Amino acid sequence: MSYLEYSVKRVPVGISKIFFINWPLVLLICAVAAFGFLMLYSVAGGSMTPWAEPQIKRFIMGLVLMFIVAFVPVYFWRNMAVTIYLLTLMLLLLVEFFGITSMGAQRWINLGFMRLQPSELMKIALVLVLAAYYDWLPLNKTSHPLWVLAPVALILIPSYLVLRQPDLGTAILLMAGGGAVMFLAGVHWLYFAGVIGLTAGTVFSVFASRGTDWQLIKDYQFRRIDTFLDPSSDPLGAGYNITQSKIALGSGGWTGRGFMQGTQSRLNFLPEKQTDFIFTTLAEELGFIGGATLLGLYAAILIFCYSSAMVNRDRFSSLLILGIAAAFFLYFAINMSMVMGLAPVVGVPLPLVSYGGSAMLVILIAFGFVQSAHVHRPR
Amino acid sequence: MKRVPLRPLARVLKARKDGEDPELIERENLARRHEEMRDRQRQRAESRLVVASIFFALAFSFVGVKMFQLASVEPAEPQIAATTARIVAQRANIVDRQGRILATNLSTRSLYAQPNMMTDPAASAQRLAEIFPELEAEKLLKQFRSGRTFLWIKRKISPEQMQEVHDIGDPGLLFGPREMRLYPNGRLAAHILGGASFGREGVRSAEVVGVAGVEKQFDNFLRDPANGGRPLELSIDLTVQDAAEAVLRGGMKLMNAKSAATVLMDVYTGEIVAMASLPDFDPNERPRPLTEGDAADSPLFNRAVQGLYELGSTFKIFTAAQALDLGLFNPASMINTRGPLVWGKFKINDFSKYGPVLSVTDVIVKSSNVGTARIAQEIGGERQKEFLGTLGLLKETPIELVEGSHIKPLWPDKWTELSTMTISYGHGISTSPLHLAAAYSSIVNGGTKVEPTLLKTDEVRPGPRVISAETSAAARSMLRQVVTRGTASFGEVEGYAVGGKTGTADKPDPKGGYYENKVISTFASVFPANDPRYVLIVTLDEPAETSGPEPRRTAGWTAVPVAAEMIRRIGPLLGIRPSLEPLDEIEVVDVRN
Repeated sequence: MSYLEYSVKRVPVGISKIFFINWPLVLLICAVAAFGFLMLYSVAGGSMTPWAEPQIKRFIMGLVLMFIVAFVPVYFWRNMAVTIYLLTLMLLLLVEFFGITSMGAQRWINLGFMRLQPSELMKIALVLVLAAYYDWLPLNKTSHPLWVLAPVALILIPSYLVLRQPDLGTAILLMAGGGAVMFLAGVHWLYFAGVIGLTAGTVFSVFASRGTDWQLIKDYQFRRIDTFLDPSSDPLGAGYNITQSKIALGSGGWTGRGFMQGTQSRLNFLPEKQTDFIFTTLAEELGFIGGATLLGLYAAILIFCYSSAMVNRDRFSSLLILGIAAAFFLYFAINMSMVMGLAPVVGVPLPLVSYGGSAMLVILIAFGFVQSAHVHRPR
Repeated sequence: MKRVPLRPLARVLKARKDGEDPELIERENLARRHEEMRDRQRQRAESRLVVASIFFALAFSFVGVKMFQLASVEPAEPQIAATTARIVAQRANIVDRQGRILATNLSTRSLYAQPNMMTDPAASAQRLAEIFPELEAEKLLKQFRSGRTFLWIKRKISPEQMQEVHDIGDPGLLFGPREMRLYPNGRLAAHILGGASFGREGVRSAEVVGVAGVEKQFDNFLRDPANGGRPLELSIDLTVQDAAEAVLRGGMKLMNAKSAATVLMDVYTGEIVAMASLPDFDPNERPRPLTEGDAADSPLFNRAVQGLYELGSTFKIFTAAQALDLGLFNPASMINTRGPLVWGKFKINDFSKYGPVLSVTDVIVKSSNVGTARIAQEIGGERQKEFLGTLGLLKETPIELVEGSHIKPLWPDKWTELSTMTISYGHGISTSPLHLAAAYSSIVNGGTKVEPTLLKTDEVRPGPRVISAETSAAARSMLRQVVTRGTASFGEVEGYAVGGKTGTADKPDPKGGYYENKVISTFASVFPANDPRYVLIVTLDEPAETSGPEPRRTAGWTAVPVAAEMIRRIGPLLGIRPSLEPLDEIEVVDVRN
């Protein structure tokens, strides 16, 4: 049970809320987004179209949404969490039946005025519902097996639907993000150790079975996994993106080739250069210094979220902030590792930088929740 | 967990005694317990936060370090390494016995299109048609616009063509590396090598598969990466093969022959040093098999291995050798050669009258059908069949060619006495020139069985004995005399002591019977006769030597001079020193006078 309701007397009301917004966080978000605008401008060959301009418009729209969400009391969001989750789940099911196929995957739902990607919405909805669940759940039941199963189902149902689209990247983000909230809520660590151990054991036995009589999967599936895990084994096929992006990163060196001087991206060596692989453009043109700066900005955003969660005595609020921070972290960590060849290529955009409407809006709305929790924290 | 009781009896009693409210104690304890629980929870939450922040920090430094590493390393272009690596493990070379290349690989390019990436399909189609005259612009354009995302344009293109296509500058025209089989010597040893073509084709490489000859026979060996590029060593000698082919080509023309074949075999190892069949082809551009007519008329047909011919009088030496070996006669024994020999409704005649009797040697030297048939009568059909069988003349040879593995000589089902007589002089039995070469080797090499092979062999492994060494020497002497004073007098090559036996067989008419004026003329020779090293078979199909008033078709006039010319050319190449033959051998054997 939360003590939010009976200690809201000192929570700001009306327009004065604007003074309680976590402004440094807003500034950091704007700084990261500005990096993105610069890169989109550069990738388009020094032009606002076709990427930079719509991206800026969407960012402004997203900022407005963020403030709207931030001004709504956080307990309202807590009470709405289940509703939001169920609505998003319904949208995911709708995609299953009425979705638009783009680039071989069915992810979009056409709302008439814009195309919506419910799997993106699900990322926040899942964090919301899990935070609300652990706020509602008495503390001593947190690690009770029955009460652990419920959030696991909440995570796995949307993950399965997303995986069917198919969108491995988002499914991984959902599962990892949901798991992070559960971990931070204090579920006993043995559960996590069990899941990790089981996954590792499965992977190990699948690979151990290779070449034996009891081989668990087919040879061609092994080969696919091989190139998936080690794209450099097929530098011109599945590993093409990685190969080219590594070249871009290397040719950037310390200070980069200079703004708008990148060759890899400009000469069309890189596919998806404006979306998932935009970091390569950044690293090529602005070098290690540019990349490290972006990484620093991301770290600063995380630190601000973290400290905001630390001072927040409301369980729902702190879990919400930390869950969103964890999801945000997973976003850019997976994207950067993927681009640098540390992780297999799964479609995960670089948050706030990559071109793309749904992702940008969803991240800004998510930070709206963070702000709402920050503004309405019990004092 | 140690719990403090909410209502400790002692304290309640004490409070009652002191007049305090015992309810307060319960509330106090309850609040303390809540606090404790919250503290525990907070502690746990904080420890979780610490774990999470450590994880974040680790991930950040990991990404940062990798970024640092990538920024500080100059990247290598990985594509080049990848494409060359693919080619190394390709099909092995084929080399001759001296290690000279007979077949190797050449990397070329293939050209394909991805029409959805093309900027100007119409102009590109036009330009492509100019570069490759065999392509039609309209057809190409139709294919480009058919909505296909991929199509082959050319499987093999030259560097010049590639540059020209490159100059079109269309991003939808792409090149793939392509390995192709190259036979640098062109037509040389075409039938032995066979040829190769593409199997499964991909954009990045194509599989080269052998389609004929040793390329097909040893396909697995040539493709096996485990051999580490070790070449396939053939017994062929490139220079000897070339000389033999040149002489055979000239001889075929000079003798107006339809086709020709030759086999040069080491008499001890059975290694085929040269083997040719004319007409031939270029394995680089292997022609298509004939769809109609006789497959034996195709240039792809290997006459030395696949062609089954009645090789005529060349077989007489087998009859004579067997008779000597059985002790039925000695070389000087007199044979009744009065002709014609009538058997039922058949008559056996000689080419010309040789008188009433001839010695066994002279039966061979003068090539008397009647005399040979009489010797065969003494031997009998059963023993004759068994002897020809041991020489390998009745079954397939173990030659390492796909074409030759199923070539079985033709001989009558019923080995009647008449068959015995005709087979004794090489009629009624059809074998390939290769069979003949192996059988001659077995006869002349001292009498041990020889199996033909195309692979270089280092050691001589004598086969089972076929005839005694003395019989072998006697047979060589007879063969030598065929050249010195018999039907093959044109075969004399000074210093090489050529011995041999001619054979002129009427060609069978597919309508039945034999042609009047079409023959297969063969010369089976051994040189040097006194120290046998090689057996050479030359076979001409339908030759006609026209320098005289009448066309002459007998082997003595056609195959023999060609073989002699060949020995003259290849003797020095084989490293045989011309020498005088010891005279006594002939005198010992020839005791007729």
